[in-house]
Amino acid sequence: MKRIIIDREKCDGCLNCNIACISAHEEGSNFYTVNLQSPDAETRNFIKFDVGKGYLPIFCRHCDEPECVLSCMSGALEKDPVSGHVQYDENKCAACYMCVMNCPFGVLKPDKKNRTKVIKCDFCDDKPDGPSCVKACPKQAIVVKEVNL
Amino acid sequence: MNSNFSCKTCASADKKLETFISNLSVDTSHHRMEGQSIKCGFGLQGICCRLCSNGPCRITPDGPKGVCGATADTIVARNFLRAVSAGSGCYIHIVENTALLLKKTAANKGAIKGKIALAKLAEIFEVNETDEHVCAEKIADLVLADLYKPDYIKMELVEKMAYKPRFDRWKELGILPGGAKSEVFAGVVKTSTNLNSDPVDMYLNCLKLGISTGLYGLTLTNLLNDVMLGEPSIRLAPVGLRVIDTDYINIMITGHQHSMFAYLQERLIQEDVIEKAKAVGAKGFKLVGCTCVGQDLQLRGEHYKDVFNGHAGNNFTSEAILATGAIDAVLSEFNCTLPGIEPICDELKIKQICLDDVSKKANAEMKPFVFEEKESQSNEIIASVIEAYQARRGVVALNLDAEHGNDDTLTGVSEGSLKSFLGGTWKPLIDLIVKGEIKGIAGVVGCSSLTAGGHDVLTVNLVKELIAKDILVLSAGCSSGGLENVGLMSPQAASLAGPKLRAVCESLGIPPVLNFGPCLAIGRLELVATELAEAIGVDLPQLPLVLSAPQWLEEQALADGAFGLALGLPLHLGLPPFVTGSSVAVQVFTQDMLNLTGGQLIIDDNAQSAAQTLDSIIEKKRQELNI
Repeated sequence: MKRIIIDREKCDGCLNCNIACISAHEEGSNFYTVNLQSPDAETRNFIKFDVGKGYLPIFCRHCDEPECVLSCMSGALEKDPVSGHVQYDENKCAACYMCVMNCPFGVLKPDKKNRTKVIKCDFCDDKPDGPSCVKACPKQAIVVKEVNL
Repeated sequence: MNSNFSCKTCASADKKLETFISNLSVDTSHHRMEGQSIKCGFGLQGICCRLCSNGPCRITPDGPKGVCGATADTIVARNFLRAVSAGSGCYIHIVENTALLLKKTAANKGAIKGKIALAKLAEIFEVNETDEHVCAEKIADLVLADLYKPDYIKMELVEKMAYKPRFDRWKELGILPGGAKSEVFAGVVKTSTNLNSDPVDMYLNCLKLGISTGLYGLTLTNLLNDVMLGEPSIRLAPVGLRVIDTDYINIMITGHQHSMFAYLQERLIQEDVIEKAKAVGAKGFKLVGCTCVGQDLQLRGEHYKDVFNGHAGNNFTSEAILATGAIDAVLSEFNCTLPGIEPICDELKIKQICLDDVSKKANAEMKPFVFEEKESQSNEIIASVIEAYQARRGVVALNLDAEHGNDDTLTGVSEGSLKSFLGGTWKPLIDLIVKGEIKGIAGVVGCSSLTAGGHDVLTVNLVKELIAKDILVLSAGCSSGGLENVGLMSPQAASLAGPKLRAVCESLGIPPVLNFGPCLAIGRLELVATELAEAIGVDLPQLPLVLSAPQWLEEQALADGAFGLALGLPLHLGLPPFVTGSSVAVQVFTQDMLNLTGGQLIIDDNAQSAAQTLDSIIEKKRQELNI
C-alpha cells in the first residue's frame, strides 16, 4: 500500500504542493495555466507555519483507522481494501461534515464555493506516476513509500 | 567536480552534440537540467512578489492579494516591466559602448570599413559631411546624445529611423521613448515597492522600452558596428565543433560587443604575433566563435578570414566547446557567458579574461577594455594566452568531434547583402511572395534554451514545420547557432522545404533558413520588414510576416519581444513569459495588443500547432492584401 510520507524538516513552505493539487483537479490545466484565483481552486494539502518548529506540511494520511470513514453516516467515505486509500463519493455525501469535525489532522474541509461537498485527497486517482504534489516538491519533503500494514 | 553531477543530460535537436555532451566527464547546463526540473508554480505564473520585507507574497486561493494589497495583475505587470527594463538596459549598454567606440575610432582616424553603412546612417541622420571620420564621429555623437537624454525629452533619432506609420501610431499611444538609459531607470523606479500598480500603464511602458531597445540597442548597434567592422557579405562557412583547429592557439569569444575585439583581431594575425605563437609550437592564433559575438564575426567573416575559424555553437554549446580541451582562453565582454564555464576552465586550465565588468566571471582576470590602451592591452592578453597554451597543451586531454557541424552554412545575410543578392531591389522577393512561391516570412529569433523539449528542440522543429509550409525563415540570435549546426542553413536543406519554397531555394542555391547572425540582427530583420512594407506601401502589421522566439531565454529577449509587439507583428513564444497568473496580462498580450499596435502574442510549445497558427495568420494577411 502506498502512502505519502512527510519529512517536515525538508519543507521550505514553497506551496508547490498546493499548486500541483489545484492543477491536478482543474481539468486540462498545468502550472502555467492553473487558475489560482478561481472559486474552484481548492487545495487538498496545507502548509502551516509554526513559530519555533518551522513549516508543517499537512496531508491526508489515508489512516489505517480513518476517523473520517468511521464518522461518515452516508457511506460517502470508504477505505479501499486494496489500495488502502480513503475514497470519497460526492454523490453519497450528505454534507454533514462529521468527517471534517473528526479528522485528527484537520485536513478535510467543506468546499469554499457552495459548501456542499468535502475537499479531500484522492491520491490523484492512483495515477501511475504518483500524486501530483509529490512530483512537484522540489525538496522531497513528501515522498510516496510502500508500507506494509 | 560537482558532487551533484548527473549522468542524465537533456535532449538536443543537435543529436551529435547531445551524444558529445552525454559522454562528457564535466558538468554542463545539459546535466543540470534534471536537478532543476521541478519548477515553482508561482514563479512560472509571475505571481510571486519580493519587493518588500512583508513578502515574498504569492497569490494563492487563500491569499488573493499581497500584504500591500497588490493583485496578481499588479504583481505580474511589475515583474514583467522590471524584466523588460533590465533587458533593455543590457542592449542599451551594448549600443552605448559601440557608439563610444565609434566616436573614439573616428576621432583617432581609425579604419572605417563599412562605407555603405556610414553613407546610410549619414542619410538617415541627415549628416552632411564629406570627411568620413568627421561624419562617423557626428553619427556617434547623435546616438550618444539621444541615449543620455532624460526620460522627459524624446529621443530625436526615433522619427528619423522608424517607419512613418509606426511612428505615428507610437505617438498616438504616447509611447515614444525619452532617453534610452533614463527609460530603463524609469522602468525600475515605476516597479519598485508601492509605486505603480496600473498593469496597463506598465505594459505600455514595456512597449516604449521595446522601441528604444529595438531601434537603438538592436538596429543601431548593427549599423554602427558595420561602419567599424565592415558590412556582412554572403558566403558559405564551416560551423560546429569541427571549426576548432588544434594546430593553433585557440581563443573562444563570448558576448555581444564585437567592436571591442576589432584591434585584437588585427593584432593576432600580424607577423610578430604569429612568430610568438610559432615559438611555442603553434601555427598562430584563431578565434573560435561562440554566442552572439561569434555569430557576428561569422556574419562579417569575409573581413576576418585569417583569424576567425568559424562559429562553433550557441550559448548552451559553450561548455561543450571548452570541454573539447582545445580552447586555450576565453575572452568575454557580455552575455551569454554562463557561470557554468568557470569550473570547466579551472579544470582544463583555460585562461579566462573579461573585457567588461558587466560580465565579470568569478575566477576570471578582469581587464576592462580601454580604447586608448588597446595596443598594450592586446599585447598583455596575447602574452597571457600564450602562457596558458604552454601550461595546458599536451597536459590537458583533447576530446574533439570533427564530425560535428558542417562546412556549408550560408552566412553573411543582412538587410544590405540580401538586397544586393536580389539585384539591389526587393522586387524579386515581393514578386515571389505575391505569386505564392514564398507564402510568407517568419523571423525565428532569439535565444536557445534547454526547456520546451530540450536544447534547440522547439526551434528546430518549428522551423522544419514552417519551411514545409513554404514559409521562408530568417533567423537571428542563438537560434541561428542551433539551426546552422543541424544543417538547416545549408543549401541542401532546401529538400526539407515545401515544393514551392524548395524550387525557389534550389534555383537560387540558398537554404530555406537565412542566417542573419546574432540576436542584435533582429534589428536587421526590422529593417528588412520596414523596407518590404515601404516597397509595397503598407504598414508592418499588414505584411505576411510573423515573429517567433520559440526558446526565448532571458530578460533581453523580453525587451526584444516588446519591440516586436510595438512593430505590430504577431509574436510566438514557446513558453509564457511569467505572466499567465494575470488575466489582464493575458488579455493585453493576446487580444488588446491587436488594437493597440497590431501585434499579438501567441504561446504554444507544440511545433506543429504553433506552425499551424503562424501559417493561418500569414494566410489571413495574404487575403487581406488580396494576394
